[in-house]
Amino acid sequence: MNDNPIDTTIYAAVTEAIQDEARRILSEGSVSAVVGYAAARRKGSAQPVVITQADDAGKLIFSAACVNNLAVYLTKAKKEIPKAGKIGIVVKGCDLKALVGLMGESQLKREELYLIGVPCAGVLASTAQPARELTGDTIAPKCRECDNHLPQGCDFVPDQRPVTLELAGKYSAEIARLEAMTPAERWAYWKEQFKKCIKCYACRQVCPFCFCEQCLCDRNKPQMVETTPRPAGNTAWHIVRAMHLAGRCAGCAECERVCPMDIPLNLLNRKMAKELKELYDYEAGFEVREKGPLAMYDEKDDQSFIK
Amino acid sequence: MQKFISQQNLGRLLDKLIADGKRVIAPRMDAGTPLYGPLADAAGIVLDQLPRRSAKETFFPVCEDIMSYGKEGQQVTLRDVSPASFPETILVGVRPCDAAAIPVLDAVFSWDYQDEFFLERRRRTTIVGLACTQADDACFCTAVGLSPAAPKGSDLFLTPVEGGGYACETFTGKGEALVNNHGELFAEPNGAPALPLAEPQTEKFDLKKVKAWLDDHFEDPAWDSIAVRCIGCGACAFLCPACHCFDIVDEGTEKAGKRRKSWDACGFWKFTHHASGHNPRDLQPKRYRNRIMHKFKYYDDKFGQTLCTGCGRCIRFCPVGIDIAAIVDEISKK
Ligand code: SF4
Ligand code: SF4
Ligand code: SF4
Ligand code: SF4
Ligand code: SF4
Repeated sequence: MNDNPIDTTIYAAVTEAIQDEARRILSEGSVSAVVGYAAARRKGSAQPVVITQADDAGKLIFSAACVNNLAVYLTKAKKEIPKAGKIGIVVKGCDLKALVGLMGESQLKREELYLIGVPCAGVLASTAQPARELTGDTIAPKCRECDNHLPQGCDFVPDQRPVTLELAGKYSAEIARLEAMTPAERWAYWKEQFKKCIKCYACRQVCPFCFCEQCLCDRNKPQMVETTPRPAGNTAWHIVRAMHLAGRCAGCAECERVCPMDIPLNLLNRKMAKELKELYDYEAGFEVREKGPLAMYDEKDDQSFIK
Repeated sequence: MQKFISQQNLGRLLDKLIADGKRVIAPRMDAGTPLYGPLADAAGIVLDQLPRRSAKETFFPVCEDIMSYGKEGQQVTLRDVSPASFPETILVGVRPCDAAAIPVLDAVFSWDYQDEFFLERRRRTTIVGLACTQADDACFCTAVGLSPAAPKGSDLFLTPVEGGGYACETFTGKGEALVNNHGELFAEPNGAPALPLAEPQTEKFDLKKVKAWLDDHFEDPAWDSIAVRCIGCGACAFLCPACHCFDIVDEGTEKAGKRRKSWDACGFWKFTHHASGHNPRDLQPKRYRNRIMHKFKYYDDKFGQTLCTGCGRCIRFCPVGIDIAAIVDEISKK
């Protein structure tokens, strides 16, 4: 239990600064649209919004409910968002990693973006009850391990400085717990988790890196993995996804947040990230790189697993 | 018929049903998530949380086998799944918004084709509804003409009363049979007043007006602004008690396999993707429009009701905060 409130008083000033900047760039015509967050009906709630008029800049907010990684709206998968000219986007430090990764994969060009960075003290783990106060208990697990409360390299960042609490990390502790298990125990754990999957694909749809226009798991001629929500197909789906995201996943934890069945998906991705760090000394991060470790060959690569 | 059952006797009833070999489905924790599922004993029931998925899966499972095949040499064998093998079931602790969706599904599964998989499970199930004493700001049963005490869809309905226990009212022969077969556990009504019911805050929608607007706004710029943020997952449809689309696929090898029926959703890109390559709902706003149209117009055109009971699940769990109550409200103000 850690119900200490987290100081989010700067969010009001951050909101104002974001609105002013969006108004300025839209009225100047330097961007064609701004992707940001707006308040929604339920008390304390927020939702992604795309605005194209300076007059709508007042709709933009930043609050503890602004959990979404908006980078997903800039990928090929979202054909609805206007892509003409430069686009403004509100980004938290954690979301920035996804944009950088997408640049490395030639999905986005830096000069086509106007980055409005958010000084962020943390966001809520779940928006099922948006009116909850931000505390050590309700904060998103990724925020406990955040090293980028003040995003770098943006075109605009409001002046505010977030006050953050020292919180114990959750993912590293969970991964250590799983690593300490025997393979049989670990398999039993994941079997129990995957059993719950209903193949709603919210995890895929929300992920900035799941931008394939046709997912392997949707193929039916021939069927590549069983599409029905049953243990065999579910396991195949999660293994395919973990492998496909290894070295690419930005750790935004959106997949885990949106899973309606509470499957701890980010553990898989973070475990893969850890393996890549150990095997290839590679980390997805804030540097635009053309090739990830699983997309290139180097003679110095570890060969020991090839039998 | 009106009766009273104490908390303890409700537990005894469930344990007795289980001991008699009946399948008792109720909300319980499943690896940390509240879900409806078979109860091992009465102690496992969880009545203070709305299950994450709705009660529809009792009749319309997430995935079920509907046929199996095998091939040996030139010999092909096909085996049907017999609905006669479905167990007799008591579905307990169903929220009014979940129970009300069941008769709505009956209409769909018995309209032209008689879906025996759904209908036979339905015949073999007795539904025990439970009034809600708590609601959050995503609940809006009252806005679509139901209420936290609506018995629609329940065979037997329980209302928690002051001093503990439940007032019971039967609505069908199935409900009466359940009470009569276990008469010793039920008492005469004790007159204790009901505990304060939940009070969902959303104002009542003018569903006629909503439908009238939908009737002639298939094309409207509003759809883009409503749905541009939808990411096209199946979360809303899969959690919904009233959504009922499914897919049928054959899975297995040349030698042996199964034909399976599993949930599908209109939010998916693949849902309307034709074999020709053409997709009439090519962009997400068109898919989201179908969701609203189906719930508030098409279903009403065909069956004279709304395909939404206000459970709020799609609102709580939409990854991008799409709020169907806010959308219907917006439409009703147009
Ligand atoms: S896999 Fe999950 S954590 Fe990684 S980028 Fe995609 S949504 Fe974010
Ligand atoms: S979001 Fe969860 S339930 Fe849905 S497909 Fe992904 S893992 Fe499965
Ligand atoms: S909407 Fe909420 S209050 Fe109404 S019946 Fe459903 S759970 Fe109960
Ligand atoms: S409304 Fe929300 S839950 Fe439904 S398909 Fe769109 S993003 Fe997914
Ligand atoms: S549309 Fe949403 S609120 Fe309505 S019944 Fe379905 S899940 Fe519940």
